[in-house]
Amino acid sequence: MSIDSISQDAPQDPGVQRPIPEAIRQGASATAESTLNSRHRKRVSKAFYGLCVAISLLSVLVLVVLLISIAVQGHSRLTPTLLTGSHSTSEPASSGMYPAIIGSLAICFVCALSALPLGIGTAIFLEEFQPTNIWLRRLHGFINLNISNLAGVPSIVYGLLGLSLFVFMFNAFGQIKVNESSGTEIMGVERYYQVLTLAGGGDSVLIPQSDLSQPTITITEPMPAVDRQGNTFQLEVWDPKSETPKPSDPAIRHRTVRLGQGGGAYAKTSWYYFRLPFGRSFLAAGLTLSLVILPIVIIASQESLRSVSPSLREASYGLGATKWQTVRNVSLPAAIPGIMTGAILAMGRAIGEAAPILVVLGATVAKNSGPQNLMDTVVTMPVLIFHWAGDPQFTYQQLAAAAIIVLLLILLLMNSVAIYLRQKMRIE
Amino acid sequence: MTLHNNHSATIPEHTRPIKLPSDMPQSASVTSDPTSNPSNAPQLADETCIEIANFNAWYGSFQAIDDLTLKIPRNQVTAFIGPSGCGKSTLLRWINRMNDIVPTAHSKGTLRIHDLDVLSPSTDVVHLRRQVGMVFQKPNPFPKSIYENVAFGPRLHLKLRRGELDELVEWSLRKAAVWDEVKDRLHAPALGLSGGQQQRLCIARAIAVGPEILLMDEPCSALDPASTLAIEDLLYELREQYTIVMVTHNMQQASRCSNRTAFFFEGRLVESGPTDDVFTKPQQKRTDDYVRGRFG
Repeated sequence: MSIDSISQDAPQDPGVQRPIPEAIRQGASATAESTLNSRHRKRVSKAFYGLCVAISLLSVLVLVVLLISIAVQGHSRLTPTLLTGSHSTSEPASSGMYPAIIGSLAICFVCALSALPLGIGTAIFLEEFQPTNIWLRRLHGFINLNISNLAGVPSIVYGLLGLSLFVFMFNAFGQIKVNESSGTEIMGVERYYQVLTLAGGGDSVLIPQSDLSQPTITITEPMPAVDRQGNTFQLEVWDPKSETPKPSDPAIRHRTVRLGQGGGAYAKTSWYYFRLPFGRSFLAAGLTLSLVILPIVIIASQESLRSVSPSLREASYGLGATKWQTVRNVSLPAAIPGIMTGAILAMGRAIGEAAPILVVLGATVAKNSGPQNLMDTVVTMPVLIFHWAGDPQFTYQQLAAAAIIVLLLILLLMNSVAIYLRQKMRIE
Repeated sequence: MTLHNNHSATIPEHTRPIKLPSDMPQSASVTSDPTSNPSNAPQLADETCIEIANFNAWYGSFQAIDDLTLKIPRNQVTAFIGPSGCGKSTLLRWINRMNDIVPTAHSKGTLRIHDLDVLSPSTDVVHLRRQVGMVFQKPNPFPKSIYENVAFGPRLHLKLRRGELDELVEWSLRKAAVWDEVKDRLHAPALGLSGGQQQRLCIARAIAVGPEILLMDEPCSALDPASTLAIEDLLYELREQYTIVMVTHNMQQASRCSNRTAFFFEGRLVESGPTDDVFTKPQQKRTDDYVRGRFG
């Protein structure tokens, strides 16, 4: 006879004594009271189980409702145009998020390139190189504490930090000016004056800028010039007041300008254009986001390194490996799946961040391509969604929902890659 | 035999495995190894290999070893016995300075291997640990292939050509009596081996760097009786070439496979001597009680 059936047999009123079943009497000390207790405990346990199920279902339910509402709103705008077009203020129907996808990926790339080596390196320092010296141990503890604190700092604060650190660099390298040499330019830019030729129809030549402080030029004498193909030639000057007639040969007209013709500044940038400060560029935005995710990467990598069995490290040290050899050959390979997972989750966080981007790049969405050079600004997906969702036109709100679906799909893809990599590395 | 405190890639003559396989018959078993010279062992028996004098060790403020003096002879198996927490593992981990990675561990006293001052801050621990191999309580092969496990140590210290490395791996695995079991799956994961095979693999890994001394911290405590027997047989073979120091909780094991036994109690050395003497006619009452299983 099981305990369950005994408790069902038990009287409603515990005061009334009934003959104690044989099984229980042999089990020694079980009384009617303790049977009741066990019934009560079972009921509480079941209720708690139900509560847990209900709570977890609730959070899943919220997520499902969210996804369904987005899908309902956005499915009609999930068109190829969404992926290939760019934002248009006048034609919502042909608007797309191509520049935003490229922009977000570019920022993510910069972010990964800077945050991962820094974060993993810090984690290795904190976990693998624990000093014996008391003062260094305190420094270690101090750094650890600060990293935990940094993980809790709101991302907009990092946005402000990025603004002064990367966008302006505290104005230590000069200020950014529009259409002029600005800050301290290091490479990838050639500055010219653009001057109209006699050929007409907007045809112009470029004259290398010698004095960068002069925004305009007035042509008074022949000087070296560059044509659109990059060939250098001697610029000729035609004085309308002189006796010489205006040249008629189109080839000569191409390299002749009127005396007194003015020209404005023109910058020819290569993709590797680089200057300090970074200004409102995707480089600055990526570096700012790397500050946001750095604590996450460090903490995830630390956890992963900590979970590597100390016996493996001992085995390596026991064979005469140095600290670095142990890290390189034993700890890091064993921890890399966990580090990768943490890193990709952190990248997911970075790709979805809007606040620091809004601070660093501003809220502009009018851009129809990805970044053209390192100092170019970009549109990102969260900022575009923010812009669209706030637009009173219903079409833009549909577009926002569709863009959210695309963003979620990209995140899902990244997480799948993380899981795949983890599995693959675990098998090897 | 002296230990040179420098970075040179010298391996002690008697344990240099690299030249070996070429003049070793293909069917060579571990015992017929031409470089090992069993007749040499008895002559060397009294030569001190590790000398420990007035040695104290602490973890933080806890004193784990108290004024311990002991000489460990060369080419013999010395067993450290004693109840848990008596300091035997601590002493073992100081012989190759493994306790360096424990932040709170510190020590005082003399610990010499031949004329090398082990505890001196200027001692190159990388070089020391090459000469003093260690095998741990739990088999701890790296999560790599069997081959890579054995090749790990040599790769750290030596620049070997592919063929030389192959020979060294085979030599080490043969020496650790595990070659026949793994020769067909050298590139299979080491974690797929049984516990006993893993432990012998760890021994192969340790001897592949050419140590002179092998430290074994309860090498059989995680193994089944059959694997234990295999390891014990192996220890018996290996002592012809190596000075072996083992910690064990198993008194039968100490009496079966060690030449000398040291009994520790509460951080002090109570008694040491030839194993037969310690087990049959101990000088101290506590030793007698312990080896008879009255406590511990």
